Amino acid sequence: MTGAGLGPLAARLLRAGAGVGLLVSVLFLLSRQQARTALLQAEAAGLSAAAHPTEAAEQQDIRRAQLHRLGLDEPLFYAQYVAAAPGQPAHWRWHGRRNQYHRWLRALAHGQLGTSLRSGRPVGELLRAALAVSVPLMGAAATAATLAALLLGQWLAGHPRRTAPLHLALVGLQSIPGFALALALLLLFANPDVFDWFPVDNLGVETVAGLPDGYAVATLGQFVLPVLALTLSALPGLALPLAAALRHELAAPYAVSARAKGNSLRQLLRRHALPNALLPLIAQLADLLPALVAGAAVVETVFGLPGTGRLLAHAAATHDYPVLVAGVLLVGTARLLALLLADAALLLTDPRLRWPS
Amino acid sequence: MAQLIRPTAGCALAWGWFSVLIISALAAPWLPLPYPPGTPDLLHLAAPPSAAAAHWLGTDGQGLDVLTQLLFGARTALLLTLPVAAGATLLGAAIGATAGFWGNRGLRVPLPAALLGLAAAMWAAAVPWLLTGPVVLAAGLACWPRWYRRCPVPLDSLLTGTGTLLDAVPRLVLVTAAAGLGASGRALPLLLLFTTWPETARLVRAQMWRVRVQPFVEAAQAAGLPPLRVWLRHCLPHALIPLKSVFPLSVAGLLGLESTLSFLGIGLPPEVPSWGRMLNAAHSDLGAWWVFVPPFLALASTTLALAYIANKSKHSFNN
Repeated sequence: MTGAGLGPLAARLLRAGAGVGLLVSVLFLLSRQQARTALLQAEAAGLSAAAHPTEAAEQQDIRRAQLHRLGLDEPLFYAQYVAAAPGQPAHWRWHGRRNQYHRWLRALAHGQLGTSLRSGRPVGELLRAALAVSVPLMGAAATAATLAALLLGQWLAGHPRRTAPLHLALVGLQSIPGFALALALLLLFANPDVFDWFPVDNLGVETVAGLPDGYAVATLGQFVLPVLALTLSALPGLALPLAAALRHELAAPYAVSARAKGNSLRQLLRRHALPNALLPLIAQLADLLPALVAGAAVVETVFGLPGTGRLLAHAAATHDYPVLVAGVLLVGTARLLALLLADAALLLTDPRLRWPS
Repeated sequence: MAQLIRPTAGCALAWGWFSVLIISALAAPWLPLPYPPGTPDLLHLAAPPSAAAAHWLGTDGQGLDVLTQLLFGARTALLLTLPVAAGATLLGAAIGATAGFWGNRGLRVPLPAALLGLAAAMWAAAVPWLLTGPVVLAAGLACWPRWYRRCPVPLDSLLTGTGTLLDAVPRLVLVTAAAGLGASGRALPLLLLFTTWPETARLVRAQMWRVRVQPFVEAAQAAGLPPLRVWLRHCLPHALIPLKSVFPLSVAGLLGLESTLSFLGIGLPPEVPSWGRMLNAAHSDLGAWWVFVPPFLALASTTLALAYIANKSKHSFNN
């Protein structure tokens, strides 16, 4: 039944999966190279600063132990273009399976993401703790934004004249970057000077510089503003195209004849126009998830929620490579999942895709 | 013929705001500002707007003048986003137009030349002769009339595949990760350039796809014009039409990305004034509304103006 739809879907997923894998691999290799260079530079600086030869030797031992502990003393990749010793001409060397990349891949296959360089805790544990905050946040925002877009889209398309100000407001909302929107909400509704409705307790402002441990459990009240910010930043991108698609459908002959048969505007919108206008919206949902992840990074930073986005931004600021690589892998996987879901939903809603003409 | 955009109030407003922004950004170093950028006024920390201290828009928590920062922030924003957007548009247009015109089978290269090119690439990468040698040998054999053929170059798959690779994760996450890997502020424009082009490329490719089957292109090909000339003189002018509305949107997207990165304290070095950094200062001092409002309004109205201009130029070529 789904033979026509499954082939391209599988190809698309495979391509996107290969993209994510390649990207994360490149990131991993670059991060390892960077970490090694940083350590060796520190070693060189320490050596030149050391007064005694014994002290220098001691320091070198420490560095070597550090390199070994982080697994940086092994070759980076299966084959490398390196010199056997400093001063000799470089050539290609085959290292076999004893390399950092292979070890990382094997650990990944076993579900181990490594340990954070800063806090020394397993990355998987950090990500899980962060996801416990981010998933409810993003899920609530995605649901709210989709439902609101469905309602607003119908309203905008049904009464274009009456809702012109709303349309304008949505366009204006679209032009505000997510972080500025979140900040505006914070300044308006969590500010003792204006409306102190949802106090944020300065949780984020105080702990942004600190390590992401010692999580405070966020209360429900603390979630209201972040969810609102994320919803509002995602809403115009969903509602405006839906309204445009609905308006396009309403002008189609079938809509006119449905109206002439005595359907009310509401019936016409819901029964006849919406199923057709929904398809672009569903295709867009695949892009919604990455947008939400990026938006969540900012919103979590603004409101001080210890979620994945903040973890990632923090890891980037402190050069915590394992966390960074794992975070990008997570985001890429989420995108794959979104693609899969959107394509499956398209197959479910559009029978034309299942039976090719 | 290029169609003139009918001047409306909104259009005038959008262009007016944008030109004010450009002029003030370019003229910022020579304006008679009471306080130079980057030097804090320690007597007035987080002071509200006052004419007495000549802080027309107040100061932030570090004593930096808001007006000065606003103007120099506009300078940073425009001098970063406009060149990057122009570069990304050019790159994306070239890649998209190439991929769209030649597709996967349009460009055919003689097999010996392709193999020699491969061998040259291998030689440049210092691959051992044990592997490069057979390729050279195969190139020699392919010159034999019996085995001679022209093999298609999968330009379209290559170029769109690269785009898909860069689209695998959101731009903000990608740039954040790259910045975390030690890409400095100076590398930021390059980083933005390389993550921005796929969008333009996809659009131009789709347009080129439509253009190249038009009768006038077939006529040009039938007249025996070389493909490069058909591409450049006949197809490209039509394929590049969507850029008029894509370029402002690309500038707006980059502006949002740059300010977000500055807000997160990633991208640009901390001493560079930026609207995002001003908003970060507002974040750490919630009572100081005068630090928040100017950059917020500047950012929102610039993005809005750009979106308006993009929308107008889209409609001007659609009818």
